[in-house]
Amino acid sequence: MKKNIVAISKRTFVLTLGVFTLFSCVSDSDSPGLEFMPDMYRSPAIETYVDYGWVKEEINVEAMMTASAKHPPIHTIPYHGKVEDLSLYLPYHRKANSFAPVTHGLQEKHGWNLSTEAGGDYFIAAEDKNPIELTSDNEKDIFKKGKELFNINCAHCHGEKGDGKGPMVESGAYLGVPDFKNLKNLPDGQVFYSIYYGKGMMGAHAPLLNKKEIWTVVHHINKLRLDDYGAGSVQEEVVSDSSTVEEAN
Amino acid sequence: MFNMGNKGLFTFLVTLFMLTAFASNAQEGESIFNSKCATCHAPHKDMTGPKLFEVRQKWEEGGAMEGSLYQWVKNWQVAAATDPYAKEVADWAPSAMTTFADLSNEQIDAIFNYVDEQPLPGAGGGESAAGGEMVASTNTQENDLGWIWYILGAVFLVVIFSVGGVKRQLQELDEDAGKEIKVGSKAWMFKNRKYIGMVGLVVVMAGVTWLLVGLNQVGVVTGYQPSQPIAFPHDKHAGINGIDCKYCHNSANKSKSAGIPTTNVCMNCHKQIQGEGDQVEKIKKIYKSAGFSPEGGGKYSGETENIVWNKVHQLPDHVYFNHSQHVEVGGIDCKQCHGDMTKQKELPRVVPVEELNKIEGNIQLTKATLTMGWCIECHGVKEVSSGPIEGKGGYYDEIHKRLLENDETLYEEYLEDGKVTVDELGGWECAKCHY
Repeated sequence: MKKNIVAISKRTFVLTLGVFTLFSCVSDSDSPGLEFMPDMYRSPAIETYVDYGWVKEEINVEAMMTASAKHPPIHTIPYHGKVEDLSLYLPYHRKANSFAPVTHGLQEKHGWNLSTEAGGDYFIAAEDKNPIELTSDNEKDIFKKGKELFNINCAHCHGEKGDGKGPMVESGAYLGVPDFKNLKNLPDGQVFYSIYYGKGMMGAHAPLLNKKEIWTVVHHINKLRLDDYGAGSVQEEVVSDSSTVEEAN
Repeated sequence: MFNMGNKGLFTFLVTLFMLTAFASNAQEGESIFNSKCATCHAPHKDMTGPKLFEVRQKWEEGGAMEGSLYQWVKNWQVAAATDPYAKEVADWAPSAMTTFADLSNEQIDAIFNYVDEQPLPGAGGGESAAGGEMVASTNTQENDLGWIWYILGAVFLVVIFSVGGVKRQLQELDEDAGKEIKVGSKAWMFKNRKYIGMVGLVVVMAGVTWLLVGLNQVGVVTGYQPSQPIAFPHDKHAGINGIDCKYCHNSANKSKSAGIPTTNVCMNCHKQIQGEGDQVEKIKKIYKSAGFSPEGGGKYSGETENIVWNKVHQLPDHVYFNHSQHVEVGGIDCKQCHGDMTKQKELPRVVPVEELNKIEGNIQLTKATLTMGWCIECHGVKEVSSGPIEGKGGYYDEIHKRLLENDETLYEEYLEDGKVTVDELGGWECAKCHY
């Protein structure tokens, strides 16, 4: 009888231990786990996306919404780069059409330059020339950069070839993307205006790309819609360049 | 006779011509509609422009002047000036329609013929409902898994209590039998000291191991997957729809932070895509944040609201990490650290290193994700020369030059294994990441 008691109590002990071990393994995916020193994670130096509303177990909604990831101050120029490019960082002088706040959400309080006319400066923008001039020296780099930017920011709708058949359109999620080949006569300035302020269903892309990047993309779009675009015949040059480099190596 | 035959032949030819014309007409209508109109118009849904299904009948019934619809397509401002009905239509939405002066009346008719042929989207509703059910059932399955633990716990508790009860009953039985065995715990432990000792040893060892393992987990956040205000499906956006990571996280190659997209980036596509089934509620949260109402072609109210996302990858304040240095200069693919988001069906999370190693093209590492060992290990393996520094490597060219000028033997030492890794260019210096 005593042996039975011993055996039973032993089993009970093992079972209890097992249950506790199992329960201790169930983790909460909403909790980041133990922190060694929480104040090292939330310091007074303001970092993006750190929740400064949460200080010493008190929540401050105002700080939560405003302390990190802010808009840049209105009418300031984000400038980093070469002095020659300075003009490209100045504000865009063409105004958005007067209904852009309603159709595209471009509010004056966020620093958008709005016109009082329904057409905006879209038609005058046709006069604008691309400030990044193509020469036979720089066009290879510009086309390379333009293609890179286009593939990141535009190709999911417009397609890598600019035929309006990007993966978004192919999957059936999005409709009505034009083929650039049908827009051969659209002036550069209006292409820029449409990317900057958005047009129709397309939203404004100025928050994603700066003026220099948009003009670089305009070069790439021209290459997609026009057959012989560029200062020299770039395609043959690229091929011969890479082969000569390989030979030299 | 001849006349009759001629007439018959004529009618036949005319019918044939009309039939072929209609077939090509519908095709032409489709291609023109898709390239020129579909950006703003849909057959059955108001978008930037109103829905176009049976718009000719609508204008006729509304009392529009004959031909003013064609004039409208060619140049809406001219039509609005002459026809009062067109003037009303102009007030439907504030956006101005593009003028299509090059379209002929036949082409415009072809477009409307094509639009009127489009069936109402009814079949899609059933599918989406089925999809919703599937989602619901998987959710309950997950909940079932949670219940298993409660049931198991309850079973164990019952077992423990019943075993305790049996033990007490046996004791009472023993006492009833008149045998005076005092089951004093000390005496019992002394009698069974061998077993107690062994069990004690196991308990102490388990305790120490648990403590050490636990201490190793402090500050390591593998498996952290906070719930988010919108359960964003990365597999749909980056996978099926092929959107580049850097379109939404657009400061990854420009700044320290990769950036959580503002809702205006969402709106670039979701102005049109309003979702089906359970997606509708999620997309409504975007609309609320952007101050957008999709009715009547879509209007922004200007009253925006923040969405408060939960940060997944937390680094302590004493660690400096810069996305642009890794993405732009180092040429590291996002999936090296974040995993393959094109297949991530759930919320984003801290991915364990074993899963990162399974992804093709990733550098194979052993240390736990987001630990210092992980960073250091990668800096010791990643070759700088294999990155895209050619052409933009002014900084690295300078370092190579200075190395050659200052100490040529050191430079040769670096190149002994035929590669230059990040640590050889100072990637292991404390001040690179700690300041």
